[in-house]
Amino acid sequence: MADNYRYIGKVVPRSDGRDIVTGGTLFLNDLPFRNLLYGKVLRSPHPHAVIKSIDTKKAEQLKGVRAIITYENVPDWKFGNPPIVHLLDRKVRYVGAAVAIVAAETESICQQALRLIEVEYEVLPAVFDEYEAMQPGAPQLYDQLTGNLLPLMAVNLGPTSATEIVTGDVEAGFAEADAVAEGSFGYDNIPNPIPMEPPGAVVHWEEPNRVTVWVSHQKVWLNKRILTIIFGEEVKVRVIVGPCGGSFGSKTMSWQVQCYAAALSKATGQPVKLCYSKEEQLACFVLRPATRINGKVGMKKDGTVTAVAGSWILGTGYYSMTMQTQLAVGCGEAMIAIRSKNWNLKPAIVCTNRNSSGIVRGFGGQELKCALIPLLSLAMEKLNLDPFEVLKKNFIKPGDGYYWRDAQWYNYRGIDYSPAMDQGAKVFGWKDKWKGWLKPTAVKGTKSIGVGVGIHGNADVGEDVGEAYVRIDNDGRIVIIQGLAEHGTGQRNNTLKVAAEVLQVPIENVSITPGDSLITPVEWGPAGSRGTYGILGAVIAAAEDAKKKLFELAAPMLGANNPEELDTADSVIWLKSNPQKSVTWKEVLHLRSVLGHGRFDADYTLANCMMSFVEVQVDTETGKLDVLRVVNTTDAGQIIDPQGLEGQLNGCLGSAGIDSAVFEETILDPSSGRILNANLIDYKWRTTAELPEIENVVMETPMGTHRFKAIGVGEISTSPGPSAVLMAASNAIGQWLHEYPVTPERVLKALGKTTGENRGGAR
Amino acid sequence: MRKHQINLTVNSQVYQLEVGTGQGRVNPSDTLSFTLRETLGLTGTKLSCDGGACGGCTVLMDGEAVLSCMLLTIECDGKIITTIEGLKDAKTGELDPLQQSFIDHTAFQCGYCTPGMIMSAKALLNENPAPTEAEVKKALSGNFCRCISHYQVVRAVMDATGKGR
Amino acid sequence: MRTFDHIDVYSIAEACTTLREYQGRARLNAGGSDLLTVLKGDFLADYPEAVINLKTISGMDYIREDGEYLRIGTLTRLTDLVSSPLLKEKYPVLSEAAYTVATPQIRNVATLGGNLCQDTRCWYYRYPRSIGGPVQCLRKGSGPCLAIKGDNRYHAIMGGKKCFAVCPSDMAVALAALDGKVIIVGPEGERRVEVTDFYHPTGNELAKDEVVREIEIPIKRTPTQQSFRKFTLRKPIDFAIVSSATVITVAQGICTDARIVLGAVAPAPVRAKAAEELLIGKPITEETDTAAAEKALVGAKPLSKNEYKIQIAKTLVKQAILGVTD
Ligand SMILES: Cc1cc2nc3c(=O)[nH]c(=O)nc-3n(C[C@H](O)[C@H](O)[C@H](O)COP(=O)(O)OP(=O)(O)OC[C@H]3O[C@@H](n4cnc5c(N)ncnc54)[C@H](O)[C@@H]3O)c2cc1C
Ligand code: SF4
Ligand code: FES
Ligand code: FES
Repeated sequence: MADNYRYIGKVVPRSDGRDIVTGGTLFLNDLPFRNLLYGKVLRSPHPHAVIKSIDTKKAEQLKGVRAIITYENVPDWKFGNPPIVHLLDRKVRYVGAAVAIVAAETESICQQALRLIEVEYEVLPAVFDEYEAMQPGAPQLYDQLTGNLLPLMAVNLGPTSATEIVTGDVEAGFAEADAVAEGSFGYDNIPNPIPMEPPGAVVHWEEPNRVTVWVSHQKVWLNKRILTIIFGEEVKVRVIVGPCGGSFGSKTMSWQVQCYAAALSKATGQPVKLCYSKEEQLACFVLRPATRINGKVGMKKDGTVTAVAGSWILGTGYYSMTMQTQLAVGCGEAMIAIRSKNWNLKPAIVCTNRNSSGIVRGFGGQELKCALIPLLSLAMEKLNLDPFEVLKKNFIKPGDGYYWRDAQWYNYRGIDYSPAMDQGAKVFGWKDKWKGWLKPTAVKGTKSIGVGVGIHGNADVGEDVGEAYVRIDNDGRIVIIQGLAEHGTGQRNNTLKVAAEVLQVPIENVSITPGDSLITPVEWGPAGSRGTYGILGAVIAAAEDAKKKLFELAAPMLGANNPEELDTADSVIWLKSNPQKSVTWKEVLHLRSVLGHGRFDADYTLANCMMSFVEVQVDTETGKLDVLRVVNTTDAGQIIDPQGLEGQLNGCLGSAGIDSAVFEETILDPSSGRILNANLIDYKWRTTAELPEIENVVMETPMGTHRFKAIGVGEISTSPGPSAVLMAASNAIGQWLHEYPVTPERVLKALGKTTGENRGGAR
Repeated sequence: MRKHQINLTVNSQVYQLEVGTGQGRVNPSDTLSFTLRETLGLTGTKLSCDGGACGGCTVLMDGEAVLSCMLLTIECDGKIITTIEGLKDAKTGELDPLQQSFIDHTAFQCGYCTPGMIMSAKALLNENPAPTEAEVKKALSGNFCRCISHYQVVRAVMDATGKGR
Repeated sequence: MRTFDHIDVYSIAEACTTLREYQGRARLNAGGSDLLTVLKGDFLADYPEAVINLKTISGMDYIREDGEYLRIGTLTRLTDLVSSPLLKEKYPVLSEAAYTVATPQIRNVATLGGNLCQDTRCWYYRYPRSIGGPVQCLRKGSGPCLAIKGDNRYHAIMGGKKCFAVCPSDMAVALAALDGKVIIVGPEGERRVEVTDFYHPTGNELAKDEVVREIEIPIKRTPTQQSFRKFTLRKPIDFAIVSSATVITVAQGICTDARIVLGAVAPAPVRAKAAEELLIGKPITEETDTAAAEKALVGAKPLSKNEYKIQIAKTLVKQAILGVTD
């Protein structure tokens, strides 16, 4: 297929590559500004407290300090779902909550000023466990909430949103089952996506109401929308987004960083830069949601899931921005992966006194699945079923449907992913390596090897809306006008590829505008693997529209009645019926340009799919787990960018993916709620020295998307792996492991090599 | 003894910097990464953890890979520093083979870790022009990459071996 | 980082006098890979007024055998310990230990003296100012030890008294297995301290005006089998969860001398003397090995979350000793 294309599916160097390898890329913190001030945040030492008094006088007197803002003089800006989170509040709800913000001429003056601010707190009892938080008498985080429970409606999704999965008759389903399994399963180690570049923004507020925001972010239009909601419609917000040093979703939640800078800029009249430190990013930014299900599943001997029931508790920390949406998407994704007719899954979103959870690659579905697959595994074990076969059988097939995030039913019009799964299993050698439940694949001395498999898919590949313009200039060069930030997927380069392909021009002739809301139209931005279908879809449509307009101009020059009679390549247009008859673009575009417009409208009838096989080795003497091999398998419809796709799929390890089952976790002090490992030594991440072997199997079955028949898979690569690791580790040691990550402590405990006695210390 | 002035050679250019506070000077607590980025305007060197744990700020000091966030500039007097900006040929603009190889392999996603990765790899190739894959992996083991560009990075470095200048 | 005076010194004696002038309000800087993290975290009550640069002292980086002793200068970089042919040949436990420290970039600046004198890694102690810290605890002079009731997965399983932080230095463990001594220079002259005695439950042996000059190790006359093992979640970067250094002499199949040292289990490296005694005079077999490993951990008293370290420590000792035979 790919062979017919000039650029699609071909390796094309990234247009931003030279800047990246020479240090020329200007990330947020590299941008030059005049009259720049710096901002810093004073953070709470208590997980739950009321500010009794706050004295900023000494700090104000420090030379170089330009503004200090506390809850007493902060603009009345709120956000969240519901919007009950004030930018600065009299009450602090987690260790690290913002108490005051300072603008000064240098960062070091800011830091000095922070030390001079005197705060007196009335410390309140705090709650860190979601179940405790729901109990009567538990400390309450907000007056507006009861039992620390958040409303379940995702208001941003429109009039309706999925708040549960209730369909069919679960009792009948359980009655029909050959095996029923139940229990409590969690994925609650709240790993952190930690994009390498910490969040940050520069904001210039020019009175009365013109605000320019430069931000490390993956979304232009959506960010402008969010800020406009916060500042008020009368404020003219301009958002400029350059290269983003990773996000994995998280930076979509940087409203606070931006608003701190905005408030300080409003107070000083100068641009203010506020970048988080790595410690702040780890302790005060975005964690994965904590998930726990108390669930029950029924299964037949042939692997049919007859019923899924239970409660799903989502821990969101001190507030939610999108947890309701994650819940809604997670529910839909559960239905895509488990074709059960009977469901009764009731979620709850709970606040506790810790840093907030939020948007991370895998968006709700990874969290739910990491808890659901271990539950399903228990049923499979009872029936002695091969998990590969069961997961394959239960993944959505043509003719099925699901409730998606808007609580509407969608009939699935995608492909059967079974061939891709079979191919993955073959490459991995699943049939040989799978020895049955809780049976190691091999044992060599103290090293036990086990295998596991996981799956994920989402129908957000066509989520939300976006638009693009394609302008063909009189010099024959092409400009794509689209609000898109490069955050690692190579998507900006892919827009060049698709435009060059549609218009048949050398890719060097195509460029894309910076993401600047003053210039670029509505575009939701990268999320949920929507880039390939949605973002590129809009560009393709715009390029086609531009071509049509070009042909309309050329048709009379070539004596054609209808633009359809024309074709073009390399800036020459000819009559299909008589290729000798041609004009150049230059001739057509004498002193003019054409502008094509393209729009993408949401389509929830397709889903992507990724299955991951993992092989792990566990040392039964030390409890150490190593991932030896990963095989990811998917069908991308049509590969657009082979190297970019490989990068996305290799990304399965990082950004709180597979390694969230291996060593990644956010560690909370049990009594103070402090995040103890908020640094890159104690927060564990994958190093080059210990890379498992990764193979990516990518099939190319044309999908019903756009003319290139491609579907996105990048976002989901982190999602199938964690539960696969848990399964593999359990098989390796012959004991169930149900907690993430699989630490030496947990393995040794499961093996009975520790007694569990607490003997020392508290004397 | 207190220093009043330091000499730094960065990418073949010699800088004489006064010790003190204020624009263009070196405060005793300034790290090398701060001086490079804020005082000399060389923002190619990236900061991520500012604590020695991510390798994003790796530069060459007298040919060896070091972390610029963990060095006091005032203690780098007389040192020869190479940053990512110093790898390409200053006259022709031609890229170092390592840089070209990173482009050829798309050995980056967001690209934030890339300058540090390249500098660590450069230090390795300076010392060992024909490393094994295992040696490359070890040499890069102090460089964080959250996007997981590692596989493509290792390939890019292996491909550039022997071609280093 | 908040600012400070910066002073280059040109001799150890000058370092001592400068320390004295500042009366405890100055800190020495060698490679800086620990000191800078302490200053940036800004978690100690006494931020230094001055930083004293030791790197301007020349001739303090050496690895040489001299009479009865192997001598290593305090400013010797870990990179140089890793690549030293002398160490690789006769004291591999040192080069192996150095190789496990941190990352290549850090080893290029980190010094042996700095490694021995680095501050504790306890995450309560190090909780940074920028995110709601610092935190007071017993080691800082006020309040109880927070690790006892807190998350103590990396803390001491033996020898903890009030403070349960472990000695983070990998080099100390290897040096202890070679009977290394730390040569300390102070106003009253020089003194020698066994590496195992260098660490106190809440700090180290150094007075406020003392400086480490050299590490002294008795030369090995007979061949020994040495090994350094470090259990971590990841190979580079991580501090030890447990480490072991063993130096064993075997003659005609019988163990004639043994040093077994455990690291990251206590405030100091721990010589497992009972295990050493058990081995000496016996052949090294699976049986003696297992018995020695059990002996090495007798008396361990884990906290609420670190019992697993006992099992890991036993395994490391067992593997290290058995490694002798293969
Ligand atoms: C990411 C990371 C990972 C690390 N991993 C490890 C690890 O795995 N194992 C490990 O052991 N360490 C590790 N470290 C800690 C540290 O980097 C090393 O221990 C290093 O050897 C310290 O040496 P330095 O010369 O840089 O010390 P410095 O930072 O210069 O000094 C450390 C301390 O010792 C004092 N000091 C230095 N020299 C003397 C002297 N001559 N006399 C008296 N006091 C002195 C200083 O005042 C300071 O308090 C790690 C550090 C980082 C940042
Ligand atoms: S272990 Fe020591 S340093 Fe850590 S909290 Fe306890 S007393 Fe403080
Ligand atoms: S920024 Fe220097 S090591 Fe992370
Ligand atoms: S490419 Fe994004 S951190 Fe490495």
